Parts: sequence; C-alpha cells; structure tokens
Amino acid sequence: MERCGLYLGCNIPLKAPDIEQSMRKVFPALGIEIVDLDGFSCCPAWGTAPSFDIDTWLVVAGRNIAIAEMKGVDLMTGCNSCFGVLSEAKHMIEEHPEKKAMVQEKLAKINKTYEGKTKVYHIAHILYKEIGLEKIRKSMKYKLDGFKIAIQPGCHILWPTKVMEVTEKNPFYPTMLKELCEALGAEAPYYSRLEYCCGMGALRSTDQEKSFLLVKEKLLSMKEEIDPDMIVTTCSSCYLQLDGAQKILKERGEIDFTIPVLYYTQLLALCMGFDAKEVASISEIPREEIIEKIQSEERAQ
Amino acid sequence: MQVETVNLTQKDRKAVLAQMIEKGGGNLTKCIQCGACASVCPVAITGLPLYCKRLFRFLQTGHLEEILDDASSWACVACNRCTEICPRGVDPFHVVFAFRRIQAQELAIPASATTSLMNFYTTGHAVYGDASELRQKVGLDPVPPSTLKYPEALKELQTLLDESPMAELGLF
Ligand code: SF4
Ligand code: SF4
Repeated sequence: MERCGLYLGCNIPLKAPDIEQSMRKVFPALGIEIVDLDGFSCCPAWGTAPSFDIDTWLVVAGRNIAIAEMKGVDLMTGCNSCFGVLSEAKHMIEEHPEKKAMVQEKLAKINKTYEGKTKVYHIAHILYKEIGLEKIRKSMKYKLDGFKIAIQPGCHILWPTKVMEVTEKNPFYPTMLKELCEALGAEAPYYSRLEYCCGMGALRSTDQEKSFLLVKEKLLSMKEEIDPDMIVTTCSSCYLQLDGAQKILKERGEIDFTIPVLYYTQLLALCMGFDAKEVASISEIPREEIIEKIQSEERAQ
Repeated sequence: MQVETVNLTQKDRKAVLAQMIEKGGGNLTKCIQCGACASVCPVAITGLPLYCKRLFRFLQTGHLEEILDDASSWACVACNRCTEICPRGVDPFHVVFAFRRIQAQELAIPASATTSLMNFYTTGHAVYGDASELRQKVGLDPVPPSTLKYPEALKELQTLLDESPMAELGLF
C-alpha cells in the first residue's frame, strides 16, 4: 500500500487536532502517503442516523466510503466509533444486494458512485499489518526502554469481528496494540480491565455518573495492578475520556493520582523525533514531563 | 399483597414483533435469555435497568409502552461484545438499536441526541465546535477538509437527509 485515504471523523480534527497532525507526520515518514477525503461528513455517529433509520445510516456511510473509492484508495480511520460505524455499514451493504442497490441509487443522485472496492481499516491495522513492527522499530529516534504502558484498544476495533478486514485472534484478549507499544521498546503488561469499555460515547452523554464508574474502575485497575508511566490508546474517544474524565475524578478526590494519556500515533511521532508542539500539545492531564523524558538526550539513538 | 397481573395477548406480542422487524431487530425471536450478552455488556455493568437481555424479554412478551421512555437503550455504546458472544446469533446490538428506532419514532429521545442530530445536519459533524485556533496552533489548516470546507459537500449530505424518513421527525 502506497497511499491511503485518511478518514478524520469529528473528534480528531475538531477536539484533538494534534492527533491528526501526528498521523499526517508518521504515515508519510513510514512510506504511506495520506490522501484527504475531501468533503467527508460525520460517519454518521451512532446517536444520529443509525439510531433513526438504517437506510440513511448506510447511505451517509456509503457516501464517505465512496469519496475514498472515487480517489482509488482504501480508507483508514483513527476513531474507533467511525471505524465501527463504517465497517458495520459496509458489511450490511455488501451482504444485502437490495441495500447495495438502494445506496447506489441514492448516491447517484448526488453524483457519487459506490462499488464496494474500498476497504475500511483502522489506523492500528495499517501500522500493524501494512507497515509492520520492523519498519516502526527502524524509524525511531528515541526508544522507550524502561517505560511501562497501560494500553487501551477500545471497543469498536475489537468487536464484532465478522464485519472487519483485520481481527484479533481473541478480541477479549487483544494483543495488536501491546505489540505496537513493545515495538517502541516499552513494556505493556496485562491488567484485568484492559478490554473494558472506557464509558465514553452514548454512555457518557446518557448518564455521566455511570460513565465515570467505568472509567474510574479502569484507571484504578491500571494504577493498582501495573502502575504505568502512561496510557496509550488507538481510539480518539477513549483518549478524550481517559484524559478528560481523569481530570474530573482527580478534582473530585475520587482518585489520588494522574497518568498522562497519549494516542498511539502521538507517541510514535514523539519517538520519531517530531515536535511535541505539533503532535502532542492538547490535553487535560499534563504531558510535558513524560514528553521530556521520551525525547531526552540519553534516549537518542 | 395482591400481585397485579398483566394479560398479554398473542396480538400484543405480534404487534411489537412486527415493529421490531421493520426497524431491523427481527432476531429478537431467537433470544433464549441465556444472559451471555448481559455478562459482558457495559450498560448492564453500570446497573442501568434495561440492558440487552432484560430489554429483549420485555419486547418478547409484548411490553412496549411500559418501557418506551426508558433511556437505557440510548446508553448502548454499540460495542458489539454482545454480538460476538451471543450463542444464538441474535446480533443483540441490532435489536437494541431497533428498539431505539421505535423510541425515536415516538420522539422518546434524549436531549443529547437531538443536539448532535442538529449539528450533523447544519455542519456535517455531530460533534462540532470551532477548532480553527487549536488547529492552527498545531500547524494545520484552520478548517478540516470536510463538509466544513466544501459547502457543496454539505449540500449533498443535506439532500440525503432531507429525502430520508428522518426528516419527518422535524428535528432538523
Ligand atoms: S446472548 Fe443472545 S440468546 Fe443469550 S440472552 Fe443475549 S441475546 Fe439472548
Ligand atoms: S452493543 Fe450495546 S447492548 Fe451490546 S454489549 Fe455493547 S453496550 Fe451492551
């Protein structure tokens, strides 16, 4: 793969654009040109069209996929929700010929064509399968030896496996992100709430306190079982929750510690030597200290 | 204490099932209430009352009006742990969302959902906020290459939404 469409979604470009910038830095440096999907819209998020009308869900998702297809590229996204919404939609469209015909007909009216050639990937899949751990290892300027990472793959990259191009051997014990972190030299041990939901998304908007129960349980499990130097995730929603809700829990006195949070491509960009001001500068829990440790002279290769 | 009994007729059950089928949740009939989905469901873990398995029993027995206003279904994070684990191929996620669609049709919708729907229609992004300053700070174009940058793309999206049954709800 030489080029890939980058489907940004909403949270990454509008809430955490430093994550977007980290992707725009690391993929070309690893040999994959990023193609912008001009005119894309929200995937459509679970709480919008999917909650009202299946066909509208499929058409809006189909439009986003068609933008990539018309540019002749596959699509990758760094938001687990977008990945879930688009993968599920593509699966339904391809499994049901009448749905496919419906999508094609509606898209034709806005001058878009959909054939189904474009594959939907998560950026973690491209890093793991297309680029590979070896190439990642070789790209590093700073190695993470001695660091301990609590990983958070998030929900939609794991289930349901039947709608995805790339899957974990056992999604209830995921290893892809663990291996991606270990490739940087860090340790990424198991903790008992590793595959638990962080409580973001629908749960957070429907019942904030219930949502906090889940994220608190996860943070305590990380802290008590492995005491990590940082949390690393490949889901932008998990990122926002683990960073943002952590600050609220700390202020309320419900936890007495903080753990800095990084999106995986931010960590990778830092290891490759990119400027933290561009790739990792927007967060609630301060990250200056950990970034300074990562990009330190003694770690330089 | 006298226990009130609700007499459900075959007619009630059939009416609810017909609505569920129409909204994409026809696998409801396959559920044997084993509870596997509930054992991994984040909604169940937080203690919200109508998590997957329990919701399905209400629907299977023809109770719909009684639960129409319950917000639990809107807390479903669409994680699909349930789909992976269900031994009967129910695709519980799709059944929960089918129920949501019935609720939506009756306008039993939480405020957060109506806000994101309005954002979605007017900007193309369900999660929206002016990010131009943040984006420039990290060295990006002030506007992402989405419907925000291309007005004709936003028109395309709005055309699709105007022509969908969602438009009839009057939420955008
Ligand atoms: S796992 Fe499947 S069969 Fe068992 S209760 Fe849940 S939906 Fe029903
Ligand atoms: S998809 Fe919804 S119902 Fe299924 S396990 Fe996840 S939160 Fe529960």
